[in-house]
Amino acid sequence: MRDELLRVSGLTVSLAGRRIVDDVDLVVGSGETVGLVGESGSGKSLTARAVAGLLPPTLTAGGSVRFSGTELIGASERVLRKFRGRRVGLLMQDPFAMLNPLLTAGAHIAESLPRGTRRDRQEVVRRLAEVGITNPDVAYRYPFQLSGGMRQRVAIAAALAGDPELLIADEPTTALDATIQHEIMQLLARIQESRGMAVLLITHDLRVAFQLCDRVQVMYAGRVLESGASKALATGPGHPYTLGLISALPAVERTAVRLEGIPGSVPRAADVACQCAFADRCGQRQDDCLTERPPLRLLDSGRLTACRYDVAPAASVAAPPSVPSARKSSANGPLLLVEGLRKKYGQAVALDGVDLRIEPGERLGLVGESGSGKTTLARCLLGLVDPSGGSIQLGGMDTTRLRHLPAARQREIRPLVQCVFQDPSTSLNPAMTVGATLAEAAALAAEQDRRPVGEVLELVGLPSGYAKLRPHRLSGGEKQRVAIARALAVRPALLICDEPTASLDVSVQAHILELLRTVNSELGTALLFVTHDLAVVRQVTDRIVVLLHGKVIETGVTASVLDSPGHDYTRRLVASVPTFTGSDACTI
Amino acid sequence: MDFAKVAAKRLGAVVVLLLTLSVLTYALLALAPGGPEEALLGDRASTPETRAAIRALYHLDEPFPVRYWEWLTGALSGDFGSSIYFRQPVLSVIGDRLPVTTTLAGFAILLTLAVGIPAGLAAGLRRSGVLDQGITFSTLVALAFPPFGIALVLLYTFGVALQWVPIYGSDQISNYVLPATALAMGQTAIVIRQTRAAALDVGGQDYVTFAKARGLPRLRIWGSYSLRNAALPVLTVAGLLAAGNLTGAVFVEQAFSLPGLGSLLIQAVNQKDIPLVQALVLLGGAVVIAVNLLVDLAYMVVDPRVRHGASTRAEA
Amino acid sequence: MAAPVAGSRIAPRRVPGLISLVVLVVIALVTLLGPWLAPYDPGAQNAALGAVGPGADHLLGTDNLGRDVFSRLLAGARTALIGPIFIAAGTTALGTTLGLLAGFRRGWLDAIMMRLTDLMFALPGLLILIVVVGIAGGSYVTAVVALIVLGAPVDIRVIRSLALSQRELAYVDAARTMGLSDRRIMFRHVLPNLAPTVTSNLLLSFVFALIALSGLSFLGIGLPAGTPDWGLMIQENRTILDLNPWAAVAPVLLITITAVAATILGDKVFERLSAGKELTA
Repeated sequence: MRDELLRVSGLTVSLAGRRIVDDVDLVVGSGETVGLVGESGSGKSLTARAVAGLLPPTLTAGGSVRFSGTELIGASERVLRKFRGRRVGLLMQDPFAMLNPLLTAGAHIAESLPRGTRRDRQEVVRRLAEVGITNPDVAYRYPFQLSGGMRQRVAIAAALAGDPELLIADEPTTALDATIQHEIMQLLARIQESRGMAVLLITHDLRVAFQLCDRVQVMYAGRVLESGASKALATGPGHPYTLGLISALPAVERTAVRLEGIPGSVPRAADVACQCAFADRCGQRQDDCLTERPPLRLLDSGRLTACRYDVAPAASVAAPPSVPSARKSSANGPLLLVEGLRKKYGQAVALDGVDLRIEPGERLGLVGESGSGKTTLARCLLGLVDPSGGSIQLGGMDTTRLRHLPAARQREIRPLVQCVFQDPSTSLNPAMTVGATLAEAAALAAEQDRRPVGEVLELVGLPSGYAKLRPHRLSGGEKQRVAIARALAVRPALLICDEPTASLDVSVQAHILELLRTVNSELGTALLFVTHDLAVVRQVTDRIVVLLHGKVIETGVTASVLDSPGHDYTRRLVASVPTFTGSDACTI
Repeated sequence: MDFAKVAAKRLGAVVVLLLTLSVLTYALLALAPGGPEEALLGDRASTPETRAAIRALYHLDEPFPVRYWEWLTGALSGDFGSSIYFRQPVLSVIGDRLPVTTTLAGFAILLTLAVGIPAGLAAGLRRSGVLDQGITFSTLVALAFPPFGIALVLLYTFGVALQWVPIYGSDQISNYVLPATALAMGQTAIVIRQTRAAALDVGGQDYVTFAKARGLPRLRIWGSYSLRNAALPVLTVAGLLAAGNLTGAVFVEQAFSLPGLGSLLIQAVNQKDIPLVQALVLLGGAVVIAVNLLVDLAYMVVDPRVRHGASTRAEA
Repeated sequence: MAAPVAGSRIAPRRVPGLISLVVLVVIALVTLLGPWLAPYDPGAQNAALGAVGPGADHLLGTDNLGRDVFSRLLAGARTALIGPIFIAAGTTALGTTLGLLAGFRRGWLDAIMMRLTDLMFALPGLLILIVVVGIAGGSYVTAVVALIVLGAPVDIRVIRSLALSQRELAYVDAARTMGLSDRRIMFRHVLPNLAPTVTSNLLLSFVFALIALSGLSFLGIGLPAGTPDWGLMIQENRTILDLNPWAAVAPVLLITITAVAATILGDKVFERLSAGKELTA
């Protein structure tokens, strides 16, 4: 190992006496890139904040954080201020919230330059160039005049202005588009290398961590479950949780026969203080996993795991019957036919002549980044937005201006197409119980098709007792299941899924994707899957349509488009997916 | 959109508002019992000659737009006519009483800012502490305490029970302490609440954390991060405060028997002295509109988003 | 995040709300039963007695005309409180309906509402009200109606902005996709989510109305002189602070206590109702 720069030992973070981060050890050598990986609620971001000494005032940190030998926990603000910026930099997740709305980009960088250096325009321009901004005028722009990617570049320049030895990057690209994510990650890797700076990368994305980091540390429920070299971890996980995460990852290169999620949800750290944190969800749990907290044990060269047992290899799935789609012969014509669809918002063109065709029971992927028009297209199909031109035919009926049809006619047509929306936290009415929500939806189905609430819940794998609950009692994945159940209760012929897993953890995402595949194959519901995530789209669709600036630029069978993209933009999209598979991790 | 355009739009809105206000004010004449003629006649002998004179003087035989125009052009050149009760030009009546009200209001605003902003910041920084809870509860009581009620309790406590000040009397500056306190209390509560919320909000923003993470000096974070951003929501209540100050002054002057514009207004209303009432309402409305305009201009100076027309001023 | 409640003990954080509720209930009962509780006829004068301080005969003393202050307080609760109750109900109903329609439907109604409320915010409303009701010689009822109109813009704006943010949420899109009518979505889906705000608006409007209406009375506007009313009592008795301070201070305290209790209750009800609901306001 190179010289030790940061040593965290026995770090705890508590909220009103309740532990949220519990006994975390972490070492970062100079020039090294270490990944801290975990799902939401794992405590990875709080660990990062505690290291920087910037926890919110309601939280208290304990244990030890030493930077080049100096203890930072309990140090005075005066001491901390000397470290911040100059020796430890912090980059946060949301580029829209990180910059002061009242200051220009240049001012952010200039004020962060160390005292004694020249804080002039030349230096600011040089710093901007380092983060790939060659237009010097950007220095005079305010954050609201910059795109998300540009803001994050400016923020990186500001965070690096003090030339820190360690940069803590807390999910620096999560809020950005896939291609921009890729660019920013590459930028970070390049700067890391050219400066010889150490990086502590906080991420929920195992693939990114494996690709960028020398070592990876997996966190769960506030503690470390496994740590070791990226390659070793990727090829042979030493903890069932790591294995579970890896198995749940969809791959852009192939379609998994079965998507394995991890059952259950993340517990609170304080509730599992005296047992293995993962025991309740573990497939190979033994009795002693519940009675005592397993210590980190040395596995092999520098690898640590918090599991007492050797990890059983993932059960290989028997005979891969190719995942069937419920596509039916289109004797009655296509289910959905979109021709030359256009939509303008003022001057901005959101959709510029889109053609689309979905057969009954077919699974179509609609791929694009933000601003591609994919969500506008979905909203046009759902009759939430009026197209400016072109036509939509659903089941042979003209639904171009669905919003303006007579109410009785709308009630007839609308059940044909339903939607699962992106954000599970807002997609259910918080004032209604799950049962009331589902009953209201079921009442809209044709009389002979109506299902009782219990049956609808069973369809999405939830116990019937959930009918009595209100949404705030449910986890994100459960809310999304209820949202799917609500859509299915109406008995639609086409189910539009608008990024239904974008805000879920991977282990939960796998469950939802598997559920959608089952819905398609067993109920014969056609799927229009809207997403920016190519790995996901590979798992659940037969054909894809790639959208750029409101135009269809490529379409074809999913596997062949992703394996050999024809359009330049599609190639870039495919290239921006971190390439990692359980068997062959690669580094940059 | 650039600065000039945004400013021009605001000014246009102000002109529309002033016109609306003046129409409303002029229409007051029609509200008076017995119609404008009676109101303007006051207690003068109602002979056909005086009536004719009044009708001619106030253009009462012309159609409404003409009458209104005559009145408006007069008002714009400072001629609001004569007070019926005082029998002298309205402007000179107002001029006599103006110093009392401006002293009272100025004193109250000074008190409001001097107490409100530090207290709000203190509460926001020590969130959920005893100090915060105490301050928050006090503002709640102050907001629910009508200004005339505060005036009375102050009068009783310091005038009657403690006998520190004469209940009514001279126009020394010390006599303004109690009225200004009564006037300032509710407004201070508003400023405290707004400052506290702004301090809490800004303190939790990512950009403040990011600024700390870059090791910026504390003064810099306070100045160009916390205070500048917190000033925006506090600014928005300035218009509200101006209106509250005017209305409150009416009650407080009445309660303390101060001879200011507020008690003049009540007197004029009770005596149906329409020209005087019109001038006072127009003056009050213009002050509130002017303060709102100043707030908008201040916004443009502080916030580049507003300056560049990307209006982000929160919709209340 | 509710604090654990041990047995039948009341959690400390709920005490202020409960006290406020009890205070308001007592005041409401007194308002209803006032005439039966009053020891004297509130109008009965005793010029020979004049203003005296509290004593055995007169609990809170008498005013200049020798009228019993306690009896007048009981009787005065009606005009002081019933008007504000109507104003609060009227303002909230008007503000909620218009705000919901404007925010949810947008379009011309929204444009008109925004212009109107802008106008009303830009002018010193209460001042104009004092002048208009004063000059037109308006009655108590005129003042009540005028205060409903004057109070509505705040509610309209608050509800409108909430409705605007609610209609962007996915559950509203889902309801639309299912083909539910706008009216059903507005009143059955969106409105229940605004319940915390509507309830606290109701109480805040009551406070505003209580202070404004008693303020009008204090200025001698709206009610005929001599009527037993808290605001009017303050006005009439402010000159006898040295003889019987209670004649003026007691109504001040009653108004303030009622207003404080209603404000606290509004705060607490809002917290209570919004717990567990994800309101993106």
